Amino acid sequence: MAIVNRTPDSFFDRGATYATDAAYEAIDRAVADGADLVDIGGVKAGYGEPVSEEEELRRTVDFVAGIRDRHPDLVISVDTYRSGVARRVGAAGANLINDTWAGSDPQMPAAAAEVGAGLVCSHVGGLTPRTDPHRMAYDDVVADVIRTTTGLAERAVAEGVSRDAIVIDPTHDFGKNTLQSLELTRRLDELAATGWPVLVAVSNKDFIGETLDLPPGQRGTGTIAALSVSAWLGARVFRVHDVPAARQALDLIAVLRGVALPAGTRRSLA
Amino acid sequence: MPVVAAAVCPHPPLLVPEVAGGAAAELDDLRAACLAAIDRLAEADALVIVGSGPVTGTRYDASAGGSFGPYGARDVRVGSGDFVLPLSLTVGAWLVEQSKAAGLPRVSITVAVDETPAACLALGQEIAHGNDRVALLVMGDGSPRRSEHSPVHLHPRAELFDSTVAAALDLADTDTLAALDPDIATELHAAGRAPWQVLAGATATAGLRGHLAYHAAPYGVGYFVASWTL
Repeated sequence: MAIVNRTPDSFFDRGATYATDAAYEAIDRAVADGADLVDIGGVKAGYGEPVSEEEELRRTVDFVAGIRDRHPDLVISVDTYRSGVARRVGAAGANLINDTWAGSDPQMPAAAAEVGAGLVCSHVGGLTPRTDPHRMAYDDVVADVIRTTTGLAERAVAEGVSRDAIVIDPTHDFGKNTLQSLELTRRLDELAATGWPVLVAVSNKDFIGETLDLPPGQRGTGTIAALSVSAWLGARVFRVHDVPAARQALDLIAVLRGVALPAGTRRSLA
Repeated sequence: MPVVAAAVCPHPPLLVPEVAGGAAAELDDLRAACLAAIDRLAEADALVIVGSGPVTGTRYDASAGGSFGPYGARDVRVGSGDFVLPLSLTVGAWLVEQSKAAGLPRVSITVAVDETPAACLALGQEIAHGNDRVALLVMGDGSPRRSEHSPVHLHPRAELFDSTVAAALDLADTDTLAALDPDIATELHAAGRAPWQVLAGATATAGLRGHLAYHAAPYGVGYFVASWTL
């Protein structure tokens, strides 16, 4: 899942794909590099300039329609916490709503169902959208994530979202300190054991930065390490900035797991 | 009987080296200031720790357990019993156990973050009348809205609020602490307001002199260490 932000201020790309042409080029490049899905965001996740629903719609709806024209079979996800945006982008061709703020808008499951889209069910520890965690405490962070995300998933099914179009996301860093995000990564197999497909969004996040003491521009290798462990423990969808690196790591892990074959094995065999 | 000494300390989980990891050294000065302030309580007959909790007036003895597991450090705990202490009292016990006041008989008492000033003052008066030569350890944080990189969004009044508290703690000015506005404190997420008002109620007539040993917001959260003595 390639991240393409229509924002001027997201933490990693800092507006690189805010302009329409650059955004379309980023989509084309992601697809060429092996992305199966793209995730379009119109609002920076963290604290920043307020973005009205009208402005979010302006940044996302036509863009989603344009991507759909250019890539008829690409799975298009939109990262939004507003059901009004979900309805409009769904009508424009989005397949998946990435509700990163964990159902803060109670209309979200119904909106996704209405437009036939899938839903990412997240965990933010009760935070309101675009706020940072402060002293979040969990008796067992993994148990809390499982309870919350599977609860949202069952509710989404009850409201009409197709069961096979739902994924759960532990949502690293959102409502969690670094130790808690590391714990989630270490125990990702417990999330996978719920049976719901697990999405991980670890790319360049602060828990990697704090662990390695590295700023956002230098977390690429750490990202691949966290992504690889997540894949090994059963994650199914990987939200990333660097598609070629992720694709290569995941292709190798698929072979290690025995679910794919090497591209060719000639050494010592001729 | 009067309160003969008091210490005021903050309670971020980050104070615990096992939680902070490689960042532990960044709070060496704050930890040292806390321990020095608590050491000065050791001459009292008994210690009362006051900190914010879900409700007012829950009392725990020294065996009550507290854990930093909920913040990611499973192996760090205080007390021998079940994990019942809120964060403020867990940090308080963790500090006391390393200090010269570790041997004092002690009780920990909660005060609700949103308790009314009048009830906070009344709880303080009750503590002051409850024991001989009591020392108080008051756990309370300033606003986490102090800077652009604060955990909670910057609030333009946070700095002034914390400066007012700092001056009152330095002067043992119980009138100013007693007059802190609970609504403003709530808006600023200043969790120390209620515990500081318990301190004000407990020491209004104790004749203590104040000394502010630490006031800074290294991560955008206001931390204070103060020592009030006869």
